[in-house]
Amino acid sequence: MRRFLLLVLVLSTVFVFAQSKLVIWCSEKQVDILQKLAEEFKAKYGVVVEVQYVNFSDIKPKFLTAAPEGQGADIIVGAHDWVGELVVNGLIDPIPSFPELNQFYETGLSAFSYGGKLYGLPYALEAIALIYNKEFVPNPPKTVDEMIQIAKQIDQEFGKEVRGFITSTTEFYYAVPFILGAGGYVFKETAKGLDPKDIGLANEGAVKGVNIIKRFVDEKVLDPSDNYQIMDSMFKEGKAAMIINGPWATKAYKDAGIDYGVAVIPNVDANLVAKPFVGVQGFMVNAKSPNKLLAKEFLTNFIARTDTMYRLYLGDPRLPARKDVLELVRDNPDVVAFTQSAANGVPMPNIPQMAAVWGAMNDALNLVVNGKATTQEALTTAVERIKTQTQ
Amino acid sequence: MKHLLKFFLWCIFVLMNIFFFWGASFLIQNAYYELGIVFFVLLFLIDFFIFNPRAYPYRYIAPALALLFILVLYPIYFTVKVAFTNYGTGHYMPRQEAIERLLYDPNYTYIIEEDLDSNYKIFVIYDGINPTEDFIIVFNLDGKPFLAEKPTPIRRKGKEILLSESFLYPINSEYVQMNNRTYHLVPWTGELQDLKIITIEDKAYKAFYSPKDEFLQVNSPFFKSRIAQQYLYRADFVDQQGNRYALRISSAGEWHFAKIERLYRLGYDESFENGKIGLKMTIYNNKTGNKVTEKDGAFYDTNENGESVFLLGFIDYVGSKNFLRIVKDPKVSGPFLQIFLWTFLWALLSVVLSLAVGLPFALILNDKNVKGRNLYRTLLIIPWAIPVFISALVWRNGLLNESYGLINKFLLPLFGLNPIRWMNDAFWARVGVLLVNIWLTFPYMMTISLGALQGIPPELYEVAMIDGAGRFKRFTAITFPFIMAVIAPLLVSSFAFSFNNFTIIYLITAGGPPIPGSTTPTGYTDILISYVYKLAFEAGRGQDFGFASAISIMIFFLVGGISFLNFKFSGAFEEVGR
Repeated sequence: MRRFLLLVLVLSTVFVFAQSKLVIWCSEKQVDILQKLAEEFKAKYGVVVEVQYVNFSDIKPKFLTAAPEGQGADIIVGAHDWVGELVVNGLIDPIPSFPELNQFYETGLSAFSYGGKLYGLPYALEAIALIYNKEFVPNPPKTVDEMIQIAKQIDQEFGKEVRGFITSTTEFYYAVPFILGAGGYVFKETAKGLDPKDIGLANEGAVKGVNIIKRFVDEKVLDPSDNYQIMDSMFKEGKAAMIINGPWATKAYKDAGIDYGVAVIPNVDANLVAKPFVGVQGFMVNAKSPNKLLAKEFLTNFIARTDTMYRLYLGDPRLPARKDVLELVRDNPDVVAFTQSAANGVPMPNIPQMAAVWGAMNDALNLVVNGKATTQEALTTAVERIKTQTQ
Repeated sequence: MKHLLKFFLWCIFVLMNIFFFWGASFLIQNAYYELGIVFFVLLFLIDFFIFNPRAYPYRYIAPALALLFILVLYPIYFTVKVAFTNYGTGHYMPRQEAIERLLYDPNYTYIIEEDLDSNYKIFVIYDGINPTEDFIIVFNLDGKPFLAEKPTPIRRKGKEILLSESFLYPINSEYVQMNNRTYHLVPWTGELQDLKIITIEDKAYKAFYSPKDEFLQVNSPFFKSRIAQQYLYRADFVDQQGNRYALRISSAGEWHFAKIERLYRLGYDESFENGKIGLKMTIYNNKTGNKVTEKDGAFYDTNENGESVFLLGFIDYVGSKNFLRIVKDPKVSGPFLQIFLWTFLWALLSVVLSLAVGLPFALILNDKNVKGRNLYRTLLIIPWAIPVFISALVWRNGLLNESYGLINKFLLPLFGLNPIRWMNDAFWARVGVLLVNIWLTFPYMMTISLGALQGIPPELYEVAMIDGAGRFKRFTAITFPFIMAVIAPLLVSSFAFSFNNFTIIYLITAGGPPIPGSTTPTGYTDILISYVYKLAFEAGRGQDFGFASAISIMIFFLVGGISFLNFKFSGAFEEVGR
């Protein structure tokens, strides 16, 4: 019996005094490079860094469950629009300032800021742009009118076997370039950050933007049932001439042997530029981690370095968040085009109220393109719905 | 052989004991007291059942008892508990933890002197050539030298150290007296960089790291990863005047010591209640002197413009607020009736129609004259065997898609019909989800009907035929009543299952198409549970576990009540009992 008790004691002590180490949750594309960095960090600091692969869409839910209990990763790699929710829950810690911070693009830093503090180290920016198949479209259209003309021509020529233009019709994210480009806004930008009470999704500009989507549908260029999967697979099979998609998709198109080009999204009209949402990827530190100082040291002294950022770019070719790294990859035409698109864009709001916007606006688009409501009606209802939900 | 088996069983028993003991202590260490106690009680009960001969019969129900506690009773208890709290986005930590964070977390401090001229040097004891974690620090703060020992924890929470402290002793000569010990500084010139060794009794602390000493920079990683992270991160160094100094990372990225003050302190507030003066614990902002207010389960500070600023939210008991919201909030109660009616219809039609498809198949397969019955049966069970996630996606993208789905692209044009708008028309979307659900559940209906058919005595049919009953009469008078007696309870449970069949709705239409003019995230195919999911997890306020728990308790009573009435009127239990 005494031996048994001893065994229990030993087992429980082993668990309690487990050695401290840094754990990172990241998605597929960053695993390899982070693992190499972990080796370097271990060699220098004698601290084990464990890089764990978690599905991108699972990182936030998993973190939300684990972190309040003092479990979970010390560092997570995720999107800037998680910041609001994670900060409000007290789960992530501010990142201290460091000398090379001015090398990072302001867009990336402001996207990761909440209440005046920086909560994440950005490493990649992304914005959607027009991707076209050079076989069908030698020169990308500059305006929506041109785009409709070209799309119709292709539709007629190939009898809908090849689609002139296809995108996810009823998804707000893909309609944003036109809505914001025409003068709509999600939350009003004020000196103190975004104002969730001032929503500009039913103003004149937003109506004009949504009407562009409606025009695509009315002119039979887009169909209400077009969605991301259809768009993605048709372009991969060479059956779509123009799509709107982000830098994450281009690798698959290259692998599929498509001769594609990237251009900015056509202008809403002669002088209104399309403005896509800019998403930022970055590293965040768990507020309840016992290794916070080390985690911050790892981010500011290892991840933030130019060479690391360049290696991250090679593994995950999105736009680098560091200015000098972007200079290094200037010769890639995709990067130049996506950069231009992002430069026109607006950072996706990172306040928790944004969660209500997606569903409401998707539903509004759905009603409009199906002719169930006029654009003004649908958008007014959507804004009302966002307001009642966020109060 | 028998001994071996016995030995094996004992091994399993010992392992189980270890597991329960470890589980219980682990849970209690991590502050899950209720569940930890349940584990201990279970461990005690199991051991009692096994060692006490009189409790012998109970050992057979012990595993079921354990699983019942852990998998059924505890989740129910937890759900009920959460239903009375505001647990959700913005309210993630216990109140105590929020207070501790405000009072002790280094993030809630502020630097008093921006341009303090500070330097420090760490001295450690070496074990051979390896540095140990036994260290002392010599400071130079604004030109004055101080000596401090390794900080000692003064506030703890479980294993976690919230705050540790150490005192700064001024250095006047090469001997420093502190805590009845004398430290000898060799050599002491008044300059930090000249100091090499500090001795005390038989121990010698050697110079290890200083941020401004280039020669010692090689030790920076060890200092940062071992000493700073573990002992200095949450440590305050206090001088005789009560000034506090702590390690902070400067804007230039340097790890230096700054003169700090805690942003919040605990004070007592006189309150006048029921004619008595009482003391109430309040948190004050040290910098502005403002009181931290507590509102709706969160702490708010007041900034210089008089506006409240959200600090931290905590989990708070809110009484019946979540339940009242179901009734009072027009967002919830408004579309409730419409959704409830559709949910009821959906569950009813799912059961009736899938039975209507499954029963004829069962009758055919039960006919001994049909050749290759086993093959047909296997084929017909396939929809049941494929994971719902896969078949739902196949239906949504492959069959029901409006422009590329098989039905709209090939089947309907074959009959010269117009394409159906499966996802965007209220009626057809409902037909669509029902179609998928029927396809998924008819094999189940078929299987249970087949089983029930085996139990009908063949003599009854002979008697009926002698009396001149036709095929149809035999079905209505013998087959159907007999089958119903057996499968009625299963139909009731199938109804309850369909009532809460979140997966199908969510994967096929996600509740859509939206209802025009609705200010809530409601769609025509939303059933109660999917609507609640949208309200609790996808609405603008992030996740709302408290509300979700409250409404799931309500749905439990709703489904329970309907099932009870069903059982009562169908007489299902009586028939089975007979």
